[in-house]
Amino acid sequence: MTETATEIISTKINPNVIPHLHIWEWHIPLYLFLGGIAGGLLVITSIMIILKRKFGIGPKDEGDGCPCLAVRIGSILSPVLLGLGMLFLFLDLAHPLYVWAFYTTIQPTSPMSAGSWILIAFFPLAVLQAMLVNKKFLRERNIGIVNKLIDWTENHLTLVALINSQIGVGIGIYTGILLSFFYARPLWSSSILGMLFLVSGISSAAALMMLFAPNEEKPVYSKIDANALWIELVVVGLFVLGGITGPANNSGAMMHLIAGDYQMAGMSYMLWFWGIFVALGLVIPLVLEFLEGAGVHIRFPLIAPVLVLVGGLVLRFLIVFAGQTYHTFM
Amino acid sequence: MAKQKNYGMVIDTRVCVGCSACVYACKSENSVPEGYCRDWVVQETNGTYPKLSMENRSERCQHCEKAPCVTYCPTGASHYAEDGTVQVNRSRCTGCKACLAACPYDARFVHPEGYVDKCSLCKHRLDQGLETACVSVCPTKSLNLVDFNEPDQEALALMNGKEVYRQKEHAGTRPSLYWISARNKPGV
Repeated sequence: MTETATEIISTKINPNVIPHLHIWEWHIPLYLFLGGIAGGLLVITSIMIILKRKFGIGPKDEGDGCPCLAVRIGSILSPVLLGLGMLFLFLDLAHPLYVWAFYTTIQPTSPMSAGSWILIAFFPLAVLQAMLVNKKFLRERNIGIVNKLIDWTENHLTLVALINSQIGVGIGIYTGILLSFFYARPLWSSSILGMLFLVSGISSAAALMMLFAPNEEKPVYSKIDANALWIELVVVGLFVLGGITGPANNSGAMMHLIAGDYQMAGMSYMLWFWGIFVALGLVIPLVLEFLEGAGVHIRFPLIAPVLVLVGGLVLRFLIVFAGQTYHTFM
Repeated sequence: MAKQKNYGMVIDTRVCVGCSACVYACKSENSVPEGYCRDWVVQETNGTYPKLSMENRSERCQHCEKAPCVTYCPTGASHYAEDGTVQVNRSRCTGCKACLAACPYDARFVHPEGYVDKCSLCKHRLDQGLETACVSVCPTKSLNLVDFNEPDQEALALMNGKEVYRQKEHAGTRPSLYWISARNKPGV
């Protein structure tokens, strides 16, 4: 049988739109990665504070009401990394001088509008938590206004942490929801993308905490990381299955990601996805952390967290780029 | 009080010869920067050799009734104008590009000056009671401006009894551009 042909010739010429959308370059995946870690750090540190205060579970406190070292550093890094991420977000704007326009309106249907307000809501309480868990060191500096703020709020650290654990989830999940609402880009159009970015953010945050935690605190974060990793594996599986079992739009876009030969930095999407993200970023660190937890001592303990962080970064780059190199809604 | 307008277009592909006059009229009317376009011409050939059919069509922003670009715009820069068109308020556009990602028709681009741009259906001309630049210049009357709130129009009547389609209707965007298919031509 002769094939039925369709040939389309178009004079559409807009750069960054034709032949395929590439409006978001490295800034956005980097922001999504940093935002995910910031959210994950806030979730983990807040829960660690609550567990310690309410149930006495977790590494020993430093004294003077200050939690263990990893929680203290994590609480500081959370707003710092989010601030850095927002800088990249700002640099991506084609008209950065109009950034104020985000904050003179509320657009209830726009995930980006909701996100820009969540980002602002994040900072006061995250910074307050970072101050309260480090109050011993801040009091030594003896800054009037900081002392006053700590005096007012130090008895409410548990409440602050409770609210922060929710805001942390909001930030972590929002980074995926931001993309998932764009139904015109079939790869992003998956309701589980928010969940994927949330667990990936939590596992990356636990990996980062493992890097700077003192040796006696490392096993706690290794366990958190291992749990987040296997949940992430399940969610990645659902994301892939949801794509390939979907209609032509979604299955085509998913195949473009998981079996595509389109290149990113000289390597096909397929190799990035299965080789770097799934194998190196999820499976190997999970096995290493499982072995470590089972008492098999591994000589290079930093390998697992570094691989998790690389995997988390690659995931964001892959999703953002592959979503734009696949053609739009048919 | 005058009845509210609801502008759109009926595009007759039976008579479109793909001359691109609409594209150049738009470029000059709206000072579209070099290397960019607000409207464009598509030539689509379909069928099994030797029985092939060809359709020329002039395309642009669909001025959707349920426009994803308006839904996702975080600042309200992309908005519905009172005359039923979709417009971009340059003084509120941050260039975040959410609308570009949201548009199933890839009708938008980032203007080199930093704001997002697209077909405005020549709103500045509509406001003066004129037709759009592309419609006014079309040599075969393929492009027709319509006001869907004024049912007694020649352009609307043009669609009667013919195969008419809208693009990606299943996206749920309710586009305001209607194409009279080239399949209505005799002998196709």
